[in-house]
Amino acid sequence: MNYGKKGSRRRRSSSLLYQEPPESMEHMSDQSALPNLNANWVNAKGAWAIHVVCIIGLKILFDIIPGVSQETSWTLVNITYMFASYLMFHWVRGVPFEFNAGAYDNLNMWEQIDNGDQYTPAKKFLLSVPIVLFLLSTHYTHYDLTYFTINFLAVLAVVIPKLPFVSWHAQNASKEI
Amino acid sequence: MDLQYAQNWLNDILNEVSIQFQKVPGSAIFLRYVKSSYQNDPVRSAVELFLVLFAIRYLLSPKYSTQKKSYVTLSDEACALPEIDELVDDWTPEPLVAPQTPFEEAENEKRPVIVGPTGPKSKLSNGRTVTNLASYNFYNLIANETLKEKAIQVLRTYGVGPCSPPGFYGTQDVHIKTEADIAAHLGASACIVYAQAFSTISSVIPAFSKRGDIIVADRAVNYAIRKGIQISRSTVRWYEHNDSEDMERVLEKVVREQRKKPLTRRFVVTEGLFENVGDMLDLPKTIELKLKYKFRLILDETWSFGVLGRTGRGITEHQNVDAAEVDMIIGSLAGPLCAGGGFCAGSDEIVEHQRISAAAYTFSAALPAMLATTASETLSMLQTNPEMLTSVRDNIKTMWAQLDPRSDWIRCTSSAENPIMILALKLEVVLSRKLSIADQEQLLQDIVDEVRQETSLPKLNADIRLQTLANGVMITRVKSMPRAINATTKDIGWELQPALKVCITSGLSRKEIERAGITIRHAVTKIMTRKR
Repeated sequence: MNYGKKGSRRRRSSSLLYQEPPESMEHMSDQSALPNLNANWVNAKGAWAIHVVCIIGLKILFDIIPGVSQETSWTLVNITYMFASYLMFHWVRGVPFEFNAGAYDNLNMWEQIDNGDQYTPAKKFLLSVPIVLFLLSTHYTHYDLTYFTINFLAVLAVVIPKLPFVSWHAQNASKEI
Repeated sequence: MDLQYAQNWLNDILNEVSIQFQKVPGSAIFLRYVKSSYQNDPVRSAVELFLVLFAIRYLLSPKYSTQKKSYVTLSDEACALPEIDELVDDWTPEPLVAPQTPFEEAENEKRPVIVGPTGPKSKLSNGRTVTNLASYNFYNLIANETLKEKAIQVLRTYGVGPCSPPGFYGTQDVHIKTEADIAAHLGASACIVYAQAFSTISSVIPAFSKRGDIIVADRAVNYAIRKGIQISRSTVRWYEHNDSEDMERVLEKVVREQRKKPLTRRFVVTEGLFENVGDMLDLPKTIELKLKYKFRLILDETWSFGVLGRTGRGITEHQNVDAAEVDMIIGSLAGPLCAGGGFCAGSDEIVEHQRISAAAYTFSAALPAMLATTASETLSMLQTNPEMLTSVRDNIKTMWAQLDPRSDWIRCTSSAENPIMILALKLEVVLSRKLSIADQEQLLQDIVDEVRQETSLPKLNADIRLQTLANGVMITRVKSMPRAINATTKDIGWELQPALKVCITSGLSRKEIERAGITIRHAVTKIMTRKR
């Protein structure tokens, strides 16, 4: 219960750039009650290598499908990776475990990583991967304009939400009296 | 010429750079990449270059935290130690408990201490015997020998406490029986017994309502409910005390705001008889509204269970509502029932859910067996002997007649059936004298002290005076806990008026109640008319 902070949590629902008001004491203590298992694994051993492994795996998968050209295969790898990482880091909110009374319900995984700190090594790595993958895939699609456009839009979709000043908060962020 | 010379020099430099560049391993690949990616399309190359530059900038940016800093940054590693020492020396801890205010000091000094068993007449440590109207001993079950005997029997069989939470090995046959008895008495399909009355509601609310769920609550609800709402982390909307129109407005607003959002659980939380004000809920209206707006109702019957209705079933019986219409009925076995613990009655699902997810049930030792059997006994007494309730109600009427219509200074905010009479100063008195909350508290405390000291009633005839001579009356004030830490009236938009609390008991005769009423009335007049 956050008594008497009338209006402090109001926001324009449509704006993209948005400064989150400070959380209440209860909210912060609930968040720090236990380590956030949902987001902490990005700093674990092998968590970076798995991205490379997944990308190589995807490439092999699309290559063995008959009738898929190299260009299509690279584009498919690119958009599959971008889609999956968007789903994982920016679309799904909250944590799948019940350990802090839903204190993370309004935060997606990107916002949970490293407790919301910006420019941490994990975040730098996670931003570099899609950019490198994009450059690779445009190179191997031989700079065909259609493939380029598709790949570029896909990379934008995962790079923009990673920018420090963008916060896609839930519209139903709990409003209190 | 100088210009010629400069050009040559520049060419030399460029040649040198390109030779050096070609010597760097991998430079050929890089050149090939740049050449092939350019492809006569400067826009696309620019886009790629921009992405690369952006990535480099991102990689080089320093880390920063978005959390508000709650610590001091030390200026330098080397001089950190003396700095830390300095900070430690500077730190003066806030006291764990705030120093007593003069008001609290005076109150503590005069605080009465009961010696020996409590009852309608209690002996104080200063040697005087007072009429005790400050404990919830409505049916004087404290003095009931049969109950005492049975409790002792159970104590000999079961021991004092079960020493375990109910879910482990704390549940005994008597608990199951008590649960069944309460459910049968209320007409609910199931019931769960908690070990403490206070923590019942404060753990029932968080067992069902979580963060993101919505609670609509009365502004005047008691402290246990406030704690429960706070623990639940739910979004709370308050409505004006006992105002069904305002409640409807709030419910309607919640429904409107939530229309396009994911469905959440929604609850109305209110009390049967209000602890802080004493008045009664309009239950049929509340049920109509909660059904209309699709809310669930959590009803705290702590002060109405065992008090209202023909056989003490509470507000549901009093207002002819089926108990199954209320989703959760929370009651106390500690006050009027003279046992201990609390309960929550509702459907089977609601009760079973609490057995694993209500904090006070899972993490607290079960109710001592003798308290469980005492509660069962008292319930059967209420059922078989409804005259118990009527005799208390007669006494309430007697006391009302002495206080509310006859006093120029105080009014009773309680409902006419409530044995806890809450007496607040009349509004016109407060307004005309411009009494602040603290002033009112002080006046009421003076009245409490005066009533207890009362020995001479000059206006009464000698006969009554003789009888009252030894008899002060012990009453108390409503001591509601603060609404929230650091919350002010302005935040809440509502302030509870300080009041006296007089608890009626059937352990006193009509005459004695009358006399106590006269004593209180005269003490009020004396305090309110004294010269300052």
